[in-house]
Amino acid sequence: MPNVRLQLDMKREAKSYIDSLYAILTATGLFGGPKYRLSGLTGMAFKFTVHERLLPLSVSAYGEWINEHRPGIDNLGIYTVLDAGRTRHPTFRHYQQDAVLWVKESLNRGVGVIYWIPEFGIIDGYDEEDRVFFVQDGWSGESQIVLYDNLGLNFTEFWYCQAFGGKVDIPLEAMILESLRLAIYDWDTPHKTLPNTDIGSGRLAYDFLIRALKQGDYDEGGAVYILDSYCYSREEICAYLQEARAVYPELGEASRLYEELIGILPLIRDGIIETSGARKVDRNQVELLTEQFAAAQQLEDRTVDVFRSLSERYPDPRRSIIPRWGIHTPK
Amino acid sequence: MTVILTNVKMTIESESYIDAMHAVLTHKGWTTYSKPMLAGMTSAAFRFTVNRRLTAEGPTAYNWIAENFLAADFIGIAASSNAGFTFDATFPLYRDAAILQIKKAIDDGTGAVIWKDRFVVAAGYDDERQILLLSNGREEEMEQLPYHSFGCNPYWYYQVLENRIPLDHLEVCRESLMQAVYRWETHDPMLPESEYACGKSAYAAITSALQNGEYDREGWLAVIRSYAASKQNIRSYFTVLETYWPSLREAALQYARVAEALEEMNRLVQSDDMPAIERLIVLLDEACQAEEKAIMAIKLFMRETIDIRKGDIALR
Repeated sequence: MPNVRLQLDMKREAKSYIDSLYAILTATGLFGGPKYRLSGLTGMAFKFTVHERLLPLSVSAYGEWINEHRPGIDNLGIYTVLDAGRTRHPTFRHYQQDAVLWVKESLNRGVGVIYWIPEFGIIDGYDEEDRVFFVQDGWSGESQIVLYDNLGLNFTEFWYCQAFGGKVDIPLEAMILESLRLAIYDWDTPHKTLPNTDIGSGRLAYDFLIRALKQGDYDEGGAVYILDSYCYSREEICAYLQEARAVYPELGEASRLYEELIGILPLIRDGIIETSGARKVDRNQVELLTEQFAAAQQLEDRTVDVFRSLSERYPDPRRSIIPRWGIHTPK
Repeated sequence: MTVILTNVKMTIESESYIDAMHAVLTHKGWTTYSKPMLAGMTSAAFRFTVNRRLTAEGPTAYNWIAENFLAADFIGIAASSNAGFTFDATFPLYRDAAILQIKKAIDDGTGAVIWKDRFVVAAGYDDERQILLLSNGREEEMEQLPYHSFGCNPYWYYQVLENRIPLDHLEVCRESLMQAVYRWETHDPMLPESEYACGKSAYAAITSALQNGEYDREGWLAVIRSYAASKQNIRSYFTVLETYWPSLREAALQYARVAEALEEMNRLVQSDDMPAIERLIVLLDEACQAEEKAIMAIKLFMRETIDIRKGDIALR
């Protein structure tokens, strides 16, 4: 009976999707370089969404995943196959069994598969005799086991699997330009999971965060997770822009604005205190925190304006024609 | 290797994706339903989107990946599809994968839906000549499409139908009613509202275009032909639904009026170079009012489900 153990090295640092993607692509040579560059080029670092009550799902609820992830992978020039949906729908069983086949095919080729545990993790092996997949979440280094027949089932209503194939070379300047356009879209779009409006994206995410902190009725664990993820992403973007300005000198101003923003992060991190082993936002520092976030929002707004003026100087066929895919209301 | 499914024959009647889907499903033996039934059950017939300049692309200006997946999903057909811009750098990778998928479907005795100016069926291939063979509904002979020409600038799209999952027929029909209400009331989020109108608003957009004269004459012919066919499909569908649920009689009556009004418009527009705009506008108004009444009747019939799903009535 065949079995595969790729033993990929996944480490939780950035958004779970990027940590998963990085583990898979670097192991196969489809991507080489630091993680922040992958986060930047796929546009993932720029995604920032906040639930009005700061629920922990804020960090991964940055849109309909297929529509959010596909343009990022496309920007790397990499072919991808993905499937996802709601497990309660009657056709799920078919798609699940189909996924069991193509996930194994990918593993046979030595390529890991991204999987919603939740959050995102990787499938890096299977055992045909026991009919199980091996799954990593990036926290423990230990593998979890998922039965073939339970693939996709979890306490959320969603399932998601994504595999990767061949690659074409895209010039770095084209990738950077597209990543900034993805960032502009995320910043400008108030809600990415319509018709729900309880999660704000981009500029509005800051408003949601500030409002919830001020009102005080929020999820404690979620607030810490959002702040941690926020700080990590800002550092990624800062590092990414420092590289990108070498390709586009006009990004110098954006890079400078982000360096200023990074200067705020220690104050934000200081807003989290540890009491009896649990980290939470220090409610005595809410005013200071919200002031910092308001300042950061301004800096980021100005950064996106720099992206915008750069973007306008180059043709953008992808956004000049109305597509036949992308945004829709799930049914 | 050459494989040709000679019995796959697409005919243009529903003037939509349903023509292609029906050809594939009937050939495969996965449905015995008529096109109007399929158009209703998949809820495809309820889509009513126009470009405000009445361009010919209006009836197919929708999210092909999501909506054609749903059309299949609603009736228990599993599908696999993909789409993109032909100018994307990754297109050659996706084109090669698409050709493989399509050929695999044909090997399994199933046609594949692809976009080639409209939705058509790939019913065969010839590796030696590197071509797909298409049933396009216009010619008796199959059209040849070289593999390297797959993708119809600026879009490429394919969908293969892979499996049939038995569903309760009455539940399928009930879901289609929910989708009918949704489509009547909701703008398609993929389309800018400044350029497109959906559902009830589409009637006002057509009226406005005809009144101010700023519309595409050729496009308008295609748009009215397409929607006259859709409304006719809905009418037939409701004559069947009415036999399941007599309380849908009012909706069936109203949809019959809608279909008659659009049929009359289609006849006037196709036969006369300059039909009286006033007459067309009266017919549009009649159709809009009748369709509104039909939707009210459906909402009354589906009120419990609508109540349960409040906030997002389309979400199953």
